[in-house]
Amino acid sequence: MNNSKWDDRTIAAASSSVIILGALLYYWAGEVQSTVELLELAYGSFKFFNNPMIF
Amino acid sequence: MLSNFLSNYRSVTSLAFIVLAAVLVEFFEVRASIYPSLLPFFEWLKYSSWIGYLGITYGSVYATVQAGHLIAMAIIGGTVLVTDLRLLGVLLKDIPSESITKGTHQCFKYGLSVAIATGIFCAAGVADKVYYMPVFWIKMLALLAGSGFMFFIKQPLLNSRPHSEIGPWTLRLLAVASIFIWFTVAATGRWIGFS
Repeated sequence: MNNSKWDDRTIAAASSSVIILGALLYYWAGEVQSTVELLELAYGSFKFFNNPMIF
Repeated sequence: MLSNFLSNYRSVTSLAFIVLAAVLVEFFEVRASIYPSLLPFFEWLKYSSWIGYLGITYGSVYATVQAGHLIAMAIIGGTVLVTDLRLLGVLLKDIPSESITKGTHQCFKYGLSVAIATGIFCAAGVADKVYYMPVFWIKMLALLAGSGFMFFIKQPLLNSRPHSEIGPWTLRLLAVASIFIWFTVAATGRWIGFS
């Protein structure tokens, strides 16, 4: 079993990488979403590269 | 048969157990019930411990230790980037990745030790503030996950055999997850500083 390509360590490495990446993408996507909502609440709309300090 | 499976797949079983434990902790709201009981410890850390006293009283000491913390973080970031970009085939392609991963891991261990020691001091000075910050707890979780991933998953696999015998997509997945988790540790750390 330990000589096969998908042995214990490889499966653990691949699955933990997928879990970590999934959790972190979920977290950062949530942060982006809440930031956009905050900007929309503050300035009415959200556009990329809009500088709220310039009127 | 079960004992045979457990002995052959010890890492996978441990990982499944940790994931299950995390799900149960959230499901039964264990974290929420423990959280209020941690406040006295954080208040003691800031107002009664000698590191909290030093941090509050002497700004120069706090700044010096924080500089050490940033340098340790830079060492961690450097070793992680060199290792993982080599595994992705971006950097230092003329040097065997086995040499790089073994060499940088020693440096990583020293950097992590200094970062944790100085980080406890830095947190002690603002313990009553960080206790209420969700991003502080995200950082602690990311640090715990990143350290566990590095010491129990990534390094044992990379040291177990020549990297040519490991699937290229497994190596890439490892490298991207590693970069992403240490990026999160660094980003949430700076977020604490700017909150």
